[in-house]
Amino acid sequence: MYEFMAWLEASALAEALRGLGIWTYGILNLAHILGIATLFGAIFLLDLRLMGLWRDIPVAVMARPTVPLAAIGFVLAVTSGIMMLSFNTTEYHGNPFFYIKIPVVLVGMVNVAVISRLPAWRRAVAGEDSQGNDRGVLAVAGAASLLIWLTVIVCGRMIGYW
Amino acid sequence: MKIQWFGYFSLILALIVSGQALAHHGWSGNTGGDIEITGEVISGVSLAGAHGTMQIRDADGQVWNITLAPGPRTHRAGLRDDTIPEGAEVTVHGERHEDPDVYEAKVRRVIWEDQVFDVYPPRN
Repeated sequence: MYEFMAWLEASALAEALRGLGIWTYGILNLAHILGIATLFGAIFLLDLRLMGLWRDIPVAVMARPTVPLAAIGFVLAVTSGIMMLSFNTTEYHGNPFFYIKIPVVLVGMVNVAVISRLPAWRRAVAGEDSQGNDRGVLAVAGAASLLIWLTVIVCGRMIGYW
Repeated sequence: MKIQWFGYFSLILALIVSGQALAHHGWSGNTGGDIEITGEVISGVSLAGAHGTMQIRDADGQVWNITLAPGPRTHRAGLRDDTIPEGAEVTVHGERHEDPDVYEAKVRRVIWEDQVFDVYPPRN
């Protein structure tokens, strides 16, 4: 892990970013927050719907704006996050919040991959009638997603206070 | 379906639990008390990153990692990347790291020759 951190810190990306001026880090920080707001705002609505709120809004209708917005927010947050990290990566070595956050982000990606392959999800976004335990399955999937992203945000915020 | 879900949750749980063991290494814990260090600048002020940084070597040869205010704030206090040349002697006032084996200090004030840079408001 430390070797990877040292590599990122010494990378051409890090060198280029350090030369961009005193506001660079602050602007990356801004992009990171916008990414998080976009991702979490979208996912929060979708997850609550999956957990059973607003049953009169079809999941397919809810998913149409929220899924692409979450994806855009995720890409923005990850990109800006890696860039911020590159400034002084090795300082995060041993930071427990960082070491929880990164694996949980990966868990979040696995979660998306799994949910998008669930028959219950496929039926819901296609607007088909739900079958059997679809509701329960989607509720659990939504709850898992919410838990994962809340964990990521809490750990991310706490990194700087360790 | 039930079995499929059990497998899914086991996977999630395994991934969460298999995160790394928690290691202790403070960074923001600059609570080791007030300190004044005089030394030679061996790595000049850098304003890139979350905070400005510099390195100085004290009379005992100990190298200190100095953390200043965030880049724009340090810059506004008059301390730029090229203000103080390497090799110059400076005195810094601040708070050292809580771990006495870590030579790191977060500073409020940097003095070089007749110039005083208060990157944070001075304490009374």
